[in-house]
Amino acid sequence: MSREITQRHWDVIVIGTGIGGGTTGRALAEAGRKVLFVEKGPAGHRSEQTPLSPGIFVPEARSARGFWPAEVRARVDGREARFFAPLGAGLGGSSVFYAATLERPEPHDLDHSEARPHPTGGWPVSWTEFAPWLDRAQALYRVCGTPDPLSETPCPNLAPPPPLSRGDQHLTERLRAQGLHPYALHSAIAHLPGCKGCLGFKCPHACKMDGRSAGVEPALATGNAALLDRCAVTRLLGDGQRITGLEARRAGEVLTLTADHVVLAGGALGSPRLCLASACETFPQGVANTSGLVGRGLMFHLNEMFAIWPGGTDPSPSKAIGLRDLYWREGQRLGMVQAMGVAASYGEIAWYLRGLVENSGLGRIPGAAGLSRIPAAIAAKLLGTAKIFVGLLEDLPYDDNRVLPPEGDSDEIAIDYRIHDELRARRRLFRREIARALRGQRKMFLTRRPELNFGHPSGTMRFGDDPARAVLRGDGRAHDVANLWGADAGFFPTSMGVNPSLGIAAQALRVADAINREGRDGA
Amino acid sequence: MARDDDRVKSGVALVTGAGRGLGRALARALASRGMRVAAVGRDAQSLAETANGSDRITPVIADVSDFDSLRHAFEEADALGPLTLLINNAALYPRCDIFDETPESFMQTTRVNLGGSFAATRMALDRMAETGFGRILNVATFADLHPLPASAAYSVSKGAARILTRALVADLADRFPDIVISDWMPGMLATRMGIPDGLAPDQSAKWGVELALWHDPALSGTSFEQAIEIPPPRGLKGRIKDRLLGRRRPLRRLD
Repeated sequence: MSREITQRHWDVIVIGTGIGGGTTGRALAEAGRKVLFVEKGPAGHRSEQTPLSPGIFVPEARSARGFWPAEVRARVDGREARFFAPLGAGLGGSSVFYAATLERPEPHDLDHSEARPHPTGGWPVSWTEFAPWLDRAQALYRVCGTPDPLSETPCPNLAPPPPLSRGDQHLTERLRAQGLHPYALHSAIAHLPGCKGCLGFKCPHACKMDGRSAGVEPALATGNAALLDRCAVTRLLGDGQRITGLEARRAGEVLTLTADHVVLAGGALGSPRLCLASACETFPQGVANTSGLVGRGLMFHLNEMFAIWPGGTDPSPSKAIGLRDLYWREGQRLGMVQAMGVAASYGEIAWYLRGLVENSGLGRIPGAAGLSRIPAAIAAKLLGTAKIFVGLLEDLPYDDNRVLPPEGDSDEIAIDYRIHDELRARRRLFRREIARALRGQRKMFLTRRPELNFGHPSGTMRFGDDPARAVLRGDGRAHDVANLWGADAGFFPTSMGVNPSLGIAAQALRVADAINREGRDGA
Repeated sequence: MARDDDRVKSGVALVTGAGRGLGRALARALASRGMRVAAVGRDAQSLAETANGSDRITPVIADVSDFDSLRHAFEEADALGPLTLLINNAALYPRCDIFDETPESFMQTTRVNLGGSFAATRMALDRMAETGFGRILNVATFADLHPLPASAAYSVSKGAARILTRALVADLADRFPDIVISDWMPGMLATRMGIPDGLAPDQSAKWGVELALWHDPALSGTSFEQAIEIPPPRGLKGRIKDRLLGRRRPLRRLD
């Protein structure tokens, strides 16, 4: 079986099987193209219920579970930190672990206007052109929820959500009474009988829609696609104008794979590393890097986590509520607020407080972290069960925020990132606005310092019309490589105030459409 | 997630060492609870007696230390239905002073007690990982803590099998919470391996089957002795903390 897969010439090879790769591959296979998915990590067993656990540190154990095996080495504001980021490397990529929140951007996230100037002058595709693809992605991912009451644009293909829990109803009423506009968060979960609500862990059924269940599996079912797992692409080979082959490694063997088109979907961290690692005579700066921007413009959202104690006794966590009252405030781009899906019972409060203690000077005192359990236990008892929310603060692109070229064949991801003053200013505004919006509620911010959301990297293969200031064109094709495409979060020129997932799925469908329309010879 | 779990009972149980003693008692007790049982052992005559006219018990000849024969045994069991329960019971207890053991005889005992347990578990996992559901019960002993004289091979290999349970939990519990793996010490039995005035194997088997049909992710990694759960070891500080924070759960029982 394997020889047949590795030696034939494919219409399209898709590198990476997350939400971008899975969606692109599915659309191509359903249009009759012969597609090979090449996935670094394992396919795993379909029945797994694995949570994304930072506690697993043995690289082979991380790989077996579909986690990125190595650490991220991040230099943030000049300070180095090493940690395991919430990144997947396996069938479905990071999306098999995600909470399946597929929210739409706002028109001003794409379009420049006088009223809302765009930080990069606008995406190379307008809201009017992009919205139908968001709609199609919503249908494909069976998104359910209620429309945002503040939205001025229609939101088709939104299935009705399951009924809100009593606690969430109560919370929704209290938020409305504050003058806010909560709605049922848009989520890509089919809620089949026996649904466990797999937020943060792999769903063993075809219930949570992700890169695997809504992408690769339907693609394989067409008979036009195949999957090569445990296969890391090590280099892109080409003549300067086109990719002529991929060098990959599987079970100690070196393979050369060929196709008419190659789609990069290894994630906003993985894809630029591959392009940079492929630097050679014909691609002196790395593949697709005449602009010098591959890897640059790295954005994360900032997580502003806070707990609300809405009263009532329903202990179940909310992952059902979103609100966009703070999306745009005082002329600034902020972001949406979502229930985080964890109940702030004793355990979670303790985790966050421990994080605060560790990051402060007290962290160096042995046993200090354990002390944080006592106030958490008291807080839990006195204040009942809180709901944890996160405000997703938009990050803006800077050339000096970047993912660095890999060292040899190390899987360690090196990042250089600086928190700019304008981000700090917007963050202060966001926190003030959150506090103001929730005046009268019992609440507590759970973070002091800016918390980068390392699960939402984007921007490192940005699309744009100007080849001097972009890696990809608006249709997702690399400016300077005729048969190379980008279909992961790298394409975003701005990060929006919502999760990247729906945008990735929409752009992935556009990339597949462009490849399908080009025909077999990639002209 | 229940005692007397319907999903476990609706599948097939495979019991090793089912030709005599505790294994025979377990196979019969499972059959009386309605399960189809693949009774694995080396001797056809003994297995026939175990089955003794019960149409729910199917004798399957294999030696757990001969891994190919064990693979065939699992394939035979596949024909009976979906595997939901494995009881690792087959063991050797050669009473052998150290000067009567050779490296070869020592490793042969290890190959049965540890190797057979691992092999059967590994083959069961091939099936259970497809459905994400299963129950594995390892018949264990405290012999490892203070080995009796003339018991080196048994003590070492059975002790290692308890460590295997912990290693399996480390590899599987987060990915497959519904494959429940735990240890059970049946007590000193009146069997060939045990002592003359030991407990009747049928009595002990009642507890074993109760535990085997109890499917609860929280049981993975636990140990029960006869009818009572053995709490995990906890240092003095840990025990004081538990008292202060009111964290005391009553020990689970099988009777």
